[in-house]
Amino acid sequence: MEIKIMRNVLDKNQNKADEIRQLLQEKQITMFNFISSPGSGKTTILELICQKFAQKTRLGIIEGDAYTDRDAKRLAIYDVPVVQINTEGTCHLDSHSINKALEQFNLDDLDIIIVENVGNLICPTAFDLGEHYRIAVVSTTEGDDKPIKYPMLFRESHAVILNKTDLIPYTNFSMEQFNKDLKTLNGKIPIFNISSTKKNGLNALMEWFGKRFSRVAEL
Amino acid sequence: MHEIAIVENTFKIILEVARREKLSKIRRVNFLIGEMHAIVPGIFHHAFESAALNTIAENAELNLEIEPIKMRCRQCGHEFIIKDSEYKCNECKSYDLDLQSGKELTIKSIEGE
Repeated sequence: MEIKIMRNVLDKNQNKADEIRQLLQEKQITMFNFISSPGSGKTTILELICQKFAQKTRLGIIEGDAYTDRDAKRLAIYDVPVVQINTEGTCHLDSHSINKALEQFNLDDLDIIIVENVGNLICPTAFDLGEHYRIAVVSTTEGDDKPIKYPMLFRESHAVILNKTDLIPYTNFSMEQFNKDLKTLNGKIPIFNISSTKKNGLNALMEWFGKRFSRVAEL
Repeated sequence: MHEIAIVENTFKIILEVARREKLSKIRRVNFLIGEMHAIVPGIFHHAFESAALNTIAENAELNLEIEPIKMRCRQCGHEFIIKDSEYKCNECKSYDLDLQSGKELTIKSIEGE
């Protein structure tokens, strides 16, 4: 006999993510989810955000890593609360692990939470964490074909940060192709071309975050 | 890798349904996956077979139906299927599109006795 189910496999993740979004709304907290490949520069960008905003914005960070707390240690020096999630090899964070991490913060003391997801361009995209903004980080050394190869991430992100632009002369990265593909996937998405080590292009990026940090995201 | 997480969740659901329906054997699982999830069918089948070992779904057939990415143009109303990741209306060339299907991760049904 056949038994109809018609259920989304990730419905439990979705339900928890919806609960988180509700909780954050009550606490007037805006949450960001940073997704990228390993080594694209997420943690360095978070360091730059901490340097710019930690003094004036009540920031909290959730660090997702498959193993180790190295990234959390890099960020702890900015005197912001950092909660580490070790996924023990799993390639993405899910809403249940975020929920547990949130319990470790005093949410009344926070306005912004930034989640650094596990480095991976596919898996994290399928798992809603209850965030308000999804940020895709890519670097020029990964090649200009990332948007077209991983369309779901770029379709569903609110901003793209292209890092390591200072290295373009040493790669075959085509800015024209990258922009063209992104436009096809997500015509309205803002793109920030930066070099986090050379500190190029940071003003526009920080201005974008500043605007979103200064007001509560709407559901 | 997300194939494994999806299969793990699938098993939680199908074994729970089988228990409730008092099935002693699951013969077939009918699954619908949207193309947007970039699932690799080979890995999905392999993960499914591994997860099924020593359960009532051991040797069950996995019927994997892939749903193409379908969009509706918000400008001209045209409905079409996305090919080669080109997210542009093939009638009026607008990028303003509304997803109709292609993001499914649905267990449609199980068959067994």
